[in-house]
Amino acid sequence: MKTTPRSLLRLSALCLTMLAAPASWALDAGAPAPDLNLPGLKDAVTLAQLKGKVVYVDFWASWCGPCKQSFPFMNELQSKYGAQGLTVLAVNLDAKRADADKFLGEVPAQFTVAFDATGDSAKRFDVKGMPSSYVIGRDGKVAAVHKGFREQDRKDIESRIVEILGTP
Amino acid sequence: MSTAPDQPLVAGSTVPPTRRALSRLGLALIAAAGLGGCAMSPPQPWEKGNLARPEMTMGGDALDQRFVQHIYGSKEAASGGYGVGGGGCGCN
Amino acid sequence: MAATDTRLPPRGGKAGAIIAAALSLPGVIVPATALADTAPERGEIAIKYLQYQDSQPDLSRIRVRAPSVYVMVPLSPKWSVEGSWVSDTVSGATPRYHTAVSGATRKMSDKRIAEDVKVTRYEERSSYSLSLSHSGENDYQSNAGGLSASFSSDDNNRTWNVGFGYAADRISSTNDPTLHQRKNTVEFMVGVTQAWTANDLVQVNLTLNHGHGYYSDPYKEPDIRPDKRTQSILLTRWNHHFSEMSATLKSSYRYYHDNFGINAHTVGAEWVQPVGDRWTVTPELRYYTQGAASFYYDPVYDPVVGAPYPPGYFTNPPQFISPDQRLSAFGAITAGLKVALKLSADWTVDVKAERYEQRGSWRLGGQGSPGLEPFRATFFQFGVSTRF
Repeated sequence: MKTTPRSLLRLSALCLTMLAAPASWALDAGAPAPDLNLPGLKDAVTLAQLKGKVVYVDFWASWCGPCKQSFPFMNELQSKYGAQGLTVLAVNLDAKRADADKFLGEVPAQFTVAFDATGDSAKRFDVKGMPSSYVIGRDGKVAAVHKGFREQDRKDIESRIVEILGTP
Repeated sequence: MSTAPDQPLVAGSTVPPTRRALSRLGLALIAAAGLGGCAMSPPQPWEKGNLARPEMTMGGDALDQRFVQHIYGSKEAASGGYGVGGGGCGCN
Repeated sequence: MAATDTRLPPRGGKAGAIIAAALSLPGVIVPATALADTAPERGEIAIKYLQYQDSQPDLSRIRVRAPSVYVMVPLSPKWSVEGSWVSDTVSGATPRYHTAVSGATRKMSDKRIAEDVKVTRYEERSSYSLSLSHSGENDYQSNAGGLSASFSSDDNNRTWNVGFGYAADRISSTNDPTLHQRKNTVEFMVGVTQAWTANDLVQVNLTLNHGHGYYSDPYKEPDIRPDKRTQSILLTRWNHHFSEMSATLKSSYRYYHDNFGINAHTVGAEWVQPVGDRWTVTPELRYYTQGAASFYYDPVYDPVVGAPYPPGYFTNPPQFISPDQRLSAFGAITAGLKVALKLSADWTVDVKAERYEQRGSWRLGGQGSPGLEPFRATFFQFGVSTRF
């Protein structure tokens, strides 16, 4: 190709626009799940110790409205599929622990809860909205990503989890 | 009949030409937009707890604001700026 | 002479002025910035009783009682509908214009009913609304509609709002049965709301409107106003949350300019302070200042003809003229306090009292219109609201 000044200009313009483009890295299905090592209600909680199980990681906060509805759903999931190897892990992102405790007092959780006031785990999981949930397969890879929570999402999420539970 | 004349009828009233006033408005808007650069650190989705508080909404209590703006509109010359679609005001 | 016809109330401070359709009815319900992607999770019903009493020195003037209802129902995650209804009943003696000239001392009463409805469609990062409103009283009818949309950035930290409104008003006069006038207004608004930090929300709105029709006050004499009105308004608002105190400071500045020659500035601030788990106390302060309309005249009357005519009115008639105190130069201060109590997770009651005073001498810079009495008013609100 002839290296004319015009094509050089075009190339450099292209490079500049690529530099300017925001880093659009996202945590997609198929990628290995980032590790988690967070304080829980009693002991520390890590993803490593849950290897071999299907983990439903949900990022929530006391101020997020849909989270109030997602908790009863997650209680159901845990009781229905716990025996098959599902562990629900809800990571709280409140800056103040007191707010999280207040929420848990009103909306009981019969599943594992972890606390991350720094938001570091949310960054590594590329959380784009509240709440966000990630289903991690038995192989430790992200199998499904879901943003937000509405009553009509229940069926879809549940059937996806059943699918993933069936996969080795 | 046409629009108001530029000469004030009585002392004490000021009439800046419309064009000057509009360009001042435009400058203000640009300045406001330009300030966008400084010290802005928009929050991550999980950091929006305080922004989600009801008192942080811009409109506030709908009935309260509407009543109060309606009273001001009937007692003062300036009105509006908060939203469109409202009915006309008989307060001239 | 018509000027001294004291049977009927002058328009300006009249019931009609107060009880005419609210300017920004559905528009005041602008969707909250961070919630552009779905309809609100819960519906709301609010009932509010509003009372207003104004006065000028030595005389109590108008009292307005206005019960109002607001309902918002999320129909699905993608649709919501909201509406309100208000009924203003006005009674009392009528205010003076130019304060020296008494409009009337006869008691009068009037009633206005206004209703509006707004439907909103929510998409992933945008929302679209259609609103319609109607207001009616015996000498003023208003029908208006609006279309607005909001668009949020991917991270939901910036939302653009744009809106169009149209209002068609019909004006008549209980004074003059042959008076049938119209006024049509087109309005355009564009604005942006930005989550500046985790504790700051900033909004800038620009509104332009243009109206054509009858702007004069049929109850005042002499009162001849232009048949066009163009208004430009710039509004900036800032909400800052102080997490150590759990309090929020809400401040705003609005600049107004129109073709009548009026420039006005409004500065307001509210401090929302939660007290304990259930109570919230919100003191507020507002300062308003405006210049006079180019055709407003001071209460200086022709020595031969007398009030309300200015000197030279008949020998050299002006093109436009008005004695309306609302078009004079003045400053005004409002101080208020609101107290709200959360009765339960779903029910809230609130009470608010505000005191308003308007004085020529309070105009910014001090060049207020002379010869007018201060104007005072007290507003009071009591409300109950529930979420479902």
